[in-house]
Amino acid sequence: MIRIENISAGYGPCNVLNNLNLQTNAGELIVLLGPNGCGKSTLLKTISGLIPHREGGTIWINNQSLSSMPLKLRARQIAYLAQSRQAQADMLVKDVIELGRAPFRGRLGRISADGRQAIEKAVAKTELSSFLDRKFGQLSGGEQARVLLARALCMNASVLLADEPIAALDPYYQISMMEILKAEAKSGKTVITALHDLPLAAQYADRVWIMNKGQIIADGAPKTAMSEQIISDVFKIRMNYNFLNSVVTT
Amino acid sequence: MKIAAVISLGLIAMLLSITIGPTHIEPFAAIKAAFGIGDPLHVDIVRDIRLPRTLLAAIIGAGLGASGAALQGFTRNPLAAPGILGFSACAALGAVAALYFGLTSWVPLAALIGAALGATMLLLISGPQKGANTLILAGVGVGALATAITGLLMNMAPNPWALSEIVYWMMGSLKNADMDSIRSCALLTAMGMLCLICIGPDLKTLSLGELTAQSLGVSLGRVQILLVIGVALSVGSGVAAAGSIGFVGLFIPHIVRMWLGADPARLIWQSAIAGAGFLVIADILTRALSGPGTPLYLGILTSLIGVPFFLWLAVKGARA
Repeated sequence: MIRIENISAGYGPCNVLNNLNLQTNAGELIVLLGPNGCGKSTLLKTISGLIPHREGGTIWINNQSLSSMPLKLRARQIAYLAQSRQAQADMLVKDVIELGRAPFRGRLGRISADGRQAIEKAVAKTELSSFLDRKFGQLSGGEQARVLLARALCMNASVLLADEPIAALDPYYQISMMEILKAEAKSGKTVITALHDLPLAAQYADRVWIMNKGQIIADGAPKTAMSEQIISDVFKIRMNYNFLNSVVTT
Repeated sequence: MKIAAVISLGLIAMLLSITIGPTHIEPFAAIKAAFGIGDPLHVDIVRDIRLPRTLLAAIIGAGLGASGAALQGFTRNPLAAPGILGFSACAALGAVAALYFGLTSWVPLAALIGAALGATMLLLISGPQKGANTLILAGVGVGALATAITGLLMNMAPNPWALSEIVYWMMGSLKNADMDSIRSCALLTAMGMLCLICIGPDLKTLSLGELTAQSLGVSLGRVQILLVIGVALSVGSGVAAAGSIGFVGLFIPHIVRMWLGADPARLIWQSAIAGAGFLVIADILTRALSGPGTPLYLGILTSLIGVPFFLWLAVKGARA
């Protein structure tokens, strides 16, 4: 569970997020929508502790203050999937996935039996078992995205933050990625993902946060939060209601 | 299995190193002589000349190999080498300053002071949490400043002998190897390598990018400080003992990566072993190729070997 109280954050003197107050519940898939530059990535980085927020606000993760949480403990509770798909090209897929267990490793660097099990589950969920001995750089963009998702899933963290995980993926991989995120949320985790795809957001989100200029201007179920008026105000487009309700499957 | 082959090659190179020379000594007799047993002449030659030289080559090679691997891991840039952070240049400046003022016996200490000052400047300029690019930029700046001041000292050398002494020192050589230099170099290199090995798992996580690595609990500030201290100790002690030896830290991690795999954590100690073996072999070659009165300097030879290898890498990369 995440509780955000009076959070402002940004780069240098400029604020990107302005006095946000939000709360999530376990088991929710929250989709963060908004135009480029509205602060989606900054919000996800702030929640994961990668950008310090301004004084006066607090972020609570499972009733613990983020700023007073030791680095390792924070890393164990929050899985962050970055927008850029970066990993060493000549590293094997299984080695890349195992890096997700880094916060749990002891001094000798061994992975526990629980950790091995979490890795196996993540590999199964992302259907990567036949890719484990291949080099990361030899995979397609969609396969690389799945490897990095498996890296985040094997952490078994209670919070999963994914920054545009379906960007540049073909429709099949977009849907399979959203299915995995939905399943993670159903298993009791809090999942927040930034997206640009409005129909997929409407189809998969339990809750939508619509951001504009560093503020959350709509928060609720897709049907209420993604009204034609709000979509038009924020994205400067007109969205057909039926299209928004279309269901895409694999 | 492959690492066992690398270790075996290194040990064979060390054995060859104490065997080969103007006075031929059989391998078994050379091993006995290293322990003070056998022909007194052989014992003197091995223990006073060949063994110190061999051990010093191995220690310096290990420090350079490990430093190169750690820097390439941290910057995620295969072109990174100990020289890029300016430590070699700062250590060289310290040594050249000592030579300039005629303080020949102070050269090793001055080189270490130079490396320490360089490391301090680098940490102050780059600051914690700034990441690899800032560290590289700061390192290139500090190194360029040290090189410029070294050039100025050479320009203002009081006499041609002082200048030639500076130039020869900068070519790198193990001719002054003795047990004292080995002890100090081994201690400092061991401390440096310990710092580098400690950050190995973090370097592996950093292969996912700085942002993801931080989200996985990696403290960039801690990694950066240990990296700078580790490289400064390993490279500074090597330059202090034997002058500037280039290219080892650049191409040894490349070879190891191609042969033993790409794990940035394992690459540190694997490159240390390979670097040790390589520098021992390079030193054997300098002795074998040196003519009477015209010694071939180790730093020259490592560059002569390293440059063609580097060009081969570039051509191979372009074809791929």
